Order: sequence, then C-alpha cells, then structure tokens
Amino acid sequence: MANRLPEEFSDLEGYVDWAEPTEAARMARRIGASMEELTDYYSTLLPRMEAIAAYLDQWDLPELPDDAKPLLYLGMMYMEAAVAVELFKDPDVPESSPAEKLTVLTEHGERALLG
Amino acid sequence: MNAPKHTYAEMYPELGTGPVSTESAVSKEFFEQEREKIFRHQWFSLLKRDSDIPNPGDYFVREIEIVGVSVLVIRGDDNQIRAFHNSCTHRGNRLVHDDRGCTVGMQCDFHGWTYDRQGELAYVTDEEQFYDLDKSELGMPKIHLDIWRGFLFVNFDEMPDQSLETAMGDFNQDLSPFAFDDLECIGRYRYQVDANWKTTMNAFQEGYHVAFVHKRSAPDAFTGDDNPYCHIPKIKLQDNGNQSLAVPAAPEHKLSPTEELAFKFGSTFTQGIGNTEICPGTWQGEAENWGFDLNIIFPFSRINVGAGWCYVDAFWPIAQDKTIYELAYYFPKPVKPSQMISQEFSKIVLRDLSREDLATNEVTHSALMARSIDKLQLSDQEIAVRHLYKTVTARVAG
Repeated sequence: MANRLPEEFSDLEGYVDWAEPTEAARMARRIGASMEELTDYYSTLLPRMEAIAAYLDQWDLPELPDDAKPLLYLGMMYMEAAVAVELFKDPDVPESSPAEKLTVLTEHGERALLG
Repeated sequence: MNAPKHTYAEMYPELGTGPVSTESAVSKEFFEQEREKIFRHQWFSLLKRDSDIPNPGDYFVREIEIVGVSVLVIRGDDNQIRAFHNSCTHRGNRLVHDDRGCTVGMQCDFHGWTYDRQGELAYVTDEEQFYDLDKSELGMPKIHLDIWRGFLFVNFDEMPDQSLETAMGDFNQDLSPFAFDDLECIGRYRYQVDANWKTTMNAFQEGYHVAFVHKRSAPDAFTGDDNPYCHIPKIKLQDNGNQSLAVPAAPEHKLSPTEELAFKFGSTFTQGIGNTEICPGTWQGEAENWGFDLNIIFPFSRINVGAGWCYVDAFWPIAQDKTIYELAYYFPKPVKPSQMISQEFSKIVLRDLSREDLATNEVTHSALMARSIDKLQLSDQEIAVRHLYKTVTARVAG
C-alpha cells in the first residue's frame, strides 16, 4: 500500500489509522483505545510535533493540500492522546458525564477552516 | 488570600445568608411558572454569531424546546438576519429539515409553497384554486431577533417587555469592549442532562468545586498554595439577574509538555494569546491573578471571556428534570495548521472539563427529587447560586 504520509514522516506510517478527520472520531478513537496504545502514540508523536508543525506550516490552512491532511489529523489526534496521558491517566474522563450524552458538533467548522 | 471572610454577603446583604430551599428545582408546578413568567419573555442567546452565517442564504435551525418552537435564522439578500417560525403558513408543515446550510429559498415539501430568503411567500402551487389569497400577508411567521455585539438572540413575546440592550444591563459597559469580532467558532458541543436547569447551572457558578471536580483536568491551573479553594476575586451581581464572576488563574501553574507545545504554536485557554496588554471588556486589570470571566445573562446563557478567546454556553431547560447544555468556543481564527493543532489542546481540555462539571448534576437532582435534602447550604463563595434562586423566585412570584 502506498504511503499516506510525506516521506520525512515515514516513521509514523504505522500510526496512519489514527488520522481521523473529525473531532468526534478522534474522541471516539481515544476513548476506545487502551492506555498502552495511547501512551505509545503520545510518546512517539511528542518528539515529532515540532517537525509536523513546521512541515504543515508551509501552507495556510485553506491551501493545505489533501495529501498533507493525514499529517494534520495525526497532530490533532496527538492532543486527544496527550490529554488522556498527561491529565486523566485514563482513555476516558473519570468521574464525568458519560460520552454518550455528548454530541460533538464541530465538524462543519473544521471543514470550513480547511477551505 | 487575606480578604475578609464574608466579602460578598457584605456587598449584597439583601441576598441573606441562610439556607436556600430546593423547592424551585424539584417542583413541576414551579417549572411551569418559570416557563410562563420567565422563559416566554426572555431573550434567548442562540450561541451563534452573525459571522457564523456570513453570506445571503446562510441559515441554521434551532429547536427551542421550552416554547416548542422550531426557529429558522437566515441571512437575506439584503444582508439582514431574520428569525422565523420554521413553519409553512399554508397548513403549518415544517419547512427546513437540515440543521444548517445555504439556500436560495424555502420550499414546503407538503404542497410546494415557496418562500424567499427574506421569508416572503413567493410562490403558491395552483394558486387559482384559493380564495382571495394575499401572498404579501403570508410570509413566514416572524420571531423577534436582535444582535448584541455580533451574538444572535431571539424573543418569543409578541412585544418583548424589554429590549435586548436593556436585558444586557451592565454588560453594555462592562463586556461590550471585548474584541469578539476577531474570533471564530472552533468547537461546538451539546450535552443531555437529566437534571433541573438550575441544578445544572449551579455547578458552573462558583470556584469552590474546582479543587475536587477538576483535580485531574486542572490540578494547578486555577488553584494554588495562595488560593487552594479557587476563591473568586471579583463578583458583580446585577439587579436584573445578570452576573459576572472572575475565575482566578494560579500563577504557579506548570505547563505540561503538551500545553507548552500548544502555547508555542498558538494560544491556549490558560495562557491566552500571549499579549501583555489587558484585554478590554474583562477584569484582567482589576482581579488579582485573573484567569477568565464568567458572564451570565439571566436566566441561563453566558458569554465567558478570557485573554483573547471566549466561550458561550447555555443551560436550556427542556422539562423540570431535563436540560440541554450547549457550548461553543471562539478562538482567534487559525491561519496556519499549527494554530489549528494548538487550539485542539484548549478545546479538548475545556470539553473534558465540562464533562467533569456535569458529573454531579444528575445524582444531585435525584437526591433533591427524593427530598434527601430540602435546603442548600451556601457559602460566601457560592453567592451567585444564591442570587440565581433569589432572582428566579422573585420573578415567578412577581
């Protein structure tokens, strides 16, 4: 299968399934993952985040080419994993209103930013 | 913090200091009175800005369950934003079924009556079969809509008993200078809560809970050695029920590796946009160790402002024991992908933090319904909770 990430990020190719395009899907992936998976993702991405940002910032958001978007989604997914690892020590939010009671309505805004 | 112990009771002696009855949160009859005496007359914040529907034909639909109305808000060809009952004037069928979009007009899927983007009736199918139909009188039924600093509000009174500007009270001076126009909606969420709207909102009206409820999400952002219980440095309670509370930020807050990254790439809810100037329209310059301000527009919507960002939310009553909590974050419009990644951090932390806030509501509501307790014991730090009950009870009695 062809690589979906730019060549300089081929080390992250194994994580490309995490490149979910919407906040609702990223949140669901985080909650459905194990702590081991989230910690592995977090630890792998953390030292690569500055390079990811520098690569993506070649473009303004509306001009971001489609083939760069999986990398953007990996970067956004990093934030979900980081919150689970650094703050909650759990994939979900302990002692909280259950995720099923929450509807994430962010998708339209995300798409609009990407042009 | 060496402030006197009961600062706020001294500022607002009329609110008293005794326990507060839970009756207004558990009584179905009281809820019906709230509906008739408060909700039917209030200005509802739709939690949207005029810039969310920037082009002619852009629209959104919002169900206002408490008055049973489906509201269509649409920008016309003349750039005016209007609100209508989402109903055909022929026989009342619903006109628009999507939540949002852009349209050239509204066509009823029952018999094909068609309205333009100003809500005027433009076409009636087989019109000759009607008797004396005056299309100019049969536009979509209007709902009062007004705009405050870009925020859209509607009112279901035939003639609103006060203007939106009057309802905003001191916010016309205190909050109006905030730079709302620089911001873009970057996240929107809706929660179903099986609890009374006041019980739900009460969890968001004080800092006393922070050290407990947010021990994971915000272990040191709002509480620290000099303010372990998140004492609110400044409160203003308006006679019309509006409230402002400054939430403190702990100066010793340590940034996690990810928060540091997020701030490097853009702005965060704890560090703001990183400017050193005071944000107009906030208490940044007046409250010690300022974090952000909660601004409650009576009865249940808010425009909360931080250093270069804001979030708007509302505790929509659905029934005596059902509430929808909706919130939307507005941050500086991201230009670069790294800024979008950065904002994801604040969005997620605030989203998860609101899930923590909502955790206590349903069990609290159940206990109140069971009359396990019938009074609330409220400290000086919870004076905004007391003020809400006082205002609601006075309005219902009045």
